[in-house]
Amino acid sequence: MSGRFFIIALHEGGRIQEETWELVSFARRCCAAGPVMMVLSDEGSIERLAGELAHRTGLDVVGLAGSHLREYSAEAYIRTLVPFFRDASEEEEVHIAAAHTSRGIDFVPQLSIGIDACCITAVEDVGEGSFIRSLHHGRFRAEVRADRAKVVITVLPGAFAPEDIEPGKPGRIRIVPAGDISLSTRSRGTRAPVHANMGLTRAEVIVSAGRGLGGSENIRLLTMLSSLFPKSALGATRAVCDQGWLDYSHQIGSTGNTVSPRLYLACGISGAIQHLAGMRNSGMIVAINTDPHAAIFRTAHYGIVEDLTTFIPLLVDRCLKRG
Amino acid sequence: MKILVCVKQVYDSPETLVFDESTGQVTFGPHTVFRMNRYDEYALEEALRIRERLGGAVIDAISVGPARAAKTIRRAMELGADHGIHVQTGDIDSPGAFERAHLIAAAARGRGYDLVLAGVMAEDDMESQVGPLLAAVLEYGCATGVIFEEISGNGREIAVEREVEGGSRECLTLALPCVLTIQSGINTPRYPALSHVLRARSSELECIAASSLAVPPPAQSLVRILPPAQGRKGEIIEGTAVEKADKLIHILREHSLLPRQGA
Repeated sequence: MSGRFFIIALHEGGRIQEETWELVSFARRCCAAGPVMMVLSDEGSIERLAGELAHRTGLDVVGLAGSHLREYSAEAYIRTLVPFFRDASEEEEVHIAAAHTSRGIDFVPQLSIGIDACCITAVEDVGEGSFIRSLHHGRFRAEVRADRAKVVITVLPGAFAPEDIEPGKPGRIRIVPAGDISLSTRSRGTRAPVHANMGLTRAEVIVSAGRGLGGSENIRLLTMLSSLFPKSALGATRAVCDQGWLDYSHQIGSTGNTVSPRLYLACGISGAIQHLAGMRNSGMIVAINTDPHAAIFRTAHYGIVEDLTTFIPLLVDRCLKRG
Repeated sequence: MKILVCVKQVYDSPETLVFDESTGQVTFGPHTVFRMNRYDEYALEEALRIRERLGGAVIDAISVGPARAAKTIRRAMELGADHGIHVQTGDIDSPGAFERAHLIAAAARGRGYDLVLAGVMAEDDMESQVGPLLAAVLEYGCATGVIFEEISGNGREIAVEREVEGGSRECLTLALPCVLTIQSGINTPRYPALSHVLRARSSELECIAASSLAVPPPAQSLVRILPPAQGRKGEIIEGTAVEKADKLIHILREHSLLPRQGA
């Protein structure tokens, strides 16, 4: 891919988000020549953030600074980034990448309209001048090609390994004042999670349910299975919590708890990317699902194609019999 | 207050999809059942609750899609939407997010919506794009992944909480008009009331041909559909159900993950 390539580094509480280092290896996979790191913040913190990026990646950094960027809002980002890219000619190829996180997906599509770019989200691989993303619950992938000179992309966390940090020469830093834009959005800060579950993050074994569980009456199957293991806990996908089968403190995934137990038993879980984000680093993953094509089987170490309403009682029974 | 809710029709289960390797196309099998995208059900429910809180609000439901999408718009009306708008795409089964957002914007422009709600994503394409694209095209403010909202300031602004990684919430206040994409779990969607079902049956949908709306050319094209990436070389445990259970118990014990019972 030719043209300029920008990586937008998101940050929270003064820390660069970890997905940023994965974007560096994504840019390399795109064969981008000299990608440029980009960070947006207020004057008080922009130099430190830009400095960290320049040292850790060895890449050149553009820091966009303004008091309206003290706290994140999509409006602040768009109203800063659109004018920055407006100087690029219509034909000039520009790629802009950010992580597919709750913030990335918040401002990136809006940015694409502002600069007449193509927007491709949740990219997990790179083709020949094209990008690859999952669809249909991870059963298929689509290879898509941009039909605009400018392309904005969100990259799925975990799809690319974080780039090794090179202690070589730090990149050059350019701080650009973005003016002080008066916003119609008012940020009112961040509230801590309501549903953090320490029992879940400490458990050695997690028995977790997806929509395939069928109903709250089958929760007893999970309880039965988890009773075989000491230090075990019950987990669930967002869909299970939305249905009210288990409360949100059990939720595992991008908007819930992130866990890495020694054993993760995924029961009736299809394997949506939002769920995988919260459990992919588990020591051993065993999946039980009736659907042999479920995406979870490509993440699991062991897969069993069975109906969990009959298989779990059988498993428990065999286990107790064998002592 | 005028509220627009974007509803998408999706297949009920991906198990009915058929992949033709020779053409590289995914088609719907004969037993495919279609329904409203679950995230949009939460968006519609939130609109209904706003109308109950404020009184006097009018809710339009819009969908872009082929003839069968009419059923999902009717469903929205059965649930309580006042008016249904169908942007008919004819033979085009499922336009991309970019086209979809521009078509909705073209249909919505000039109607004076104060608030536009959509699901945080569609279950099929999982792009999370239509809401924020639509906001940018209409030059409305936007917040995504909304898990709480409250209209304030005499109906001129809306306080929202966005759910972010790990379940934290970003709190912000937006000026109306704006677009919100609604996260699942914000409410519990209701079942249709009989009076609404009867009214929906006798109401006409407003139909607009997508071809009559001026929208820019597509921003991207599909090269091909691929099978899923070969992930981890996991082992599928084969055999009878009893053999599978015994093999799994053996594996778990080998890794010291399962203690002997009664020991």
